[in-house]
Amino acid sequence: MGQDIMESFINGTKILMIFLSMVGLVPLLVWAERRTLALMQSRLGPNRTGPLGLLQILADLVKPLMKEDFAGQATHKGLFYLAPLLAIVPPALVFGAIPFSHPLILPSFEFLGYTFGPYTFYFQGFNLNVGVVFALGVSSLSAYALLIAGWSSGNKYSLLGALRAAAQTISYELGLSLALVGLILVFNTLDFLEMVKIQSGPLTFSFFGTEKTIPFLPGWGIFYQPVGAFLLFVSFLAESNRIPFDLPEAEGELVAGYHTEYGGIKLILFYIGEYAHIMVASALMVTFYFGGYTFYPFLTEDSLNGLFQTRMGEWAGLLTSMALFITFLIKFFLFLFVFMWIRATLPRFRYDQLMDLGWKTLLPWAFGNAVITALVIFIFDFFKRGSFFG
Amino acid sequence: MDSLIFYLLGSVLVFSSLRVVTHKNPVYGALYLACALVALAGVFFLLEAHFIAGVQLVVYAGAVIVLFVMVLMLFDLKADKQLWKISPFRWAAVAFVAGLTLGVTFLEGLLGSSFPRDLEFFSAKHIARLLFTKYVLAFEVLGVLLILIAVGIVALTRSDREDV
Repeated sequence: MGQDIMESFINGTKILMIFLSMVGLVPLLVWAERRTLALMQSRLGPNRTGPLGLLQILADLVKPLMKEDFAGQATHKGLFYLAPLLAIVPPALVFGAIPFSHPLILPSFEFLGYTFGPYTFYFQGFNLNVGVVFALGVSSLSAYALLIAGWSSGNKYSLLGALRAAAQTISYELGLSLALVGLILVFNTLDFLEMVKIQSGPLTFSFFGTEKTIPFLPGWGIFYQPVGAFLLFVSFLAESNRIPFDLPEAEGELVAGYHTEYGGIKLILFYIGEYAHIMVASALMVTFYFGGYTFYPFLTEDSLNGLFQTRMGEWAGLLTSMALFITFLIKFFLFLFVFMWIRATLPRFRYDQLMDLGWKTLLPWAFGNAVITALVIFIFDFFKRGSFFG
Repeated sequence: MDSLIFYLLGSVLVFSSLRVVTHKNPVYGALYLACALVALAGVFFLLEAHFIAGVQLVVYAGAVIVLFVMVLMLFDLKADKQLWKISPFRWAAVAFVAGLTLGVTFLEGLLGSSFPRDLEFFSAKHIARLLFTKYVLAFEVLGVLLILIAVGIVALTRSDREDV
């Protein structure tokens, strides 16, 4: 946690803040999504309650809170109540591991007669040196929430919905992990912070023994791995059970999918989990392929630090981190918008088409992408070093 | 702090492992198994073997047990629940496991633990290097074994259907 009480307190507060802001963003996202969809479909959307219809989200949240806490007779009570909680834990854990800004380095200072510091505060819940593996591992646990919810409801439709959802999640997880392999090979790290650091420079690659640099393009993952980026995005869409992959909730076929028997606050927890998945997907896309919290050549840690150092002196570190945090947020919200845009654009797949896409298209392409990336890196390394296994 | 978390994880691990074999309902058993594996991943995290912990989550908790749970949920389990009973040899089993645990603990105390606890040893790079040089034969043999199992299962499940 930290070396002294000050650091522990700040780190604890930080984890809480990240979790609360994730949950707090959900109603805003619901509102934004409804308005965006409405505008795209030439409707108005919720605009009556409060300014811009913003109070509609409050009304929508208070209503389920007032509902009776109900569990049917055939349910397995313990698991039935556990499932909604399990639905928000994995995305919350992954969200905590994503860096939102450059780590803040504080020199030692005096406060209330005690000397504190120096500290390094990470703009993320917890800093792991294998962030990518952690994210994959934890998000693979989200299938349990769906399965437990469906089975413990004691209802055929719930169980069928849960099986569909879990089968979909597992199938697309393979494509997801394989699509990431190419990126990990290119950046040669599993650490989120290091990935962002590499992407904060210009686009550089070695070409038959010579280093080429393109000074006007940022070194973002998407320029190295365009195919991988697309495959990962599709997998994320499928993992978060959104249109066009929202088969688990195909209301025409399966009453309402795995949460048929749920109501009130328990149902809201499932929705929070779903939106948290979308937020995690956006944040991961930004971190992996779009430079994280940096934007070369204007908004990088070095250029901002230099700029603030001359004007603001000792506040430079804090201002840099803040500016980079805003950069991250802008990219993050752009991706959230893309998710809403897709929802307004595409129809739902049929189930066999969904499985075909996952196993026969996404998986081979992701595998090919990984193999070709490995070969290219191996060959260029050979030219660079003059020998294999240098 | 570390030992507090360790004892917490350890008790979750022991409790859920016990429930895997003592619960009447196989679905609950599988879920407890998943719980035990997640707790084990937590123990790996505590030992600073972050990569192994992540892989443990991806492979065992995230993929293998999900399939177990999924298949078990589809079965009609009424007959299985009635068949479940406590074996008369339960005390022998308890004694055996307790003896084994004590023996291992005793041996470890006697020989001294040589368990390396550093980030470098458990880094993905070091593990990969070990897997593809020193233990490459074992690694490949395990891969072949997995394929064998898959082929064997297909052969076993299709053997009584010559008309297809």
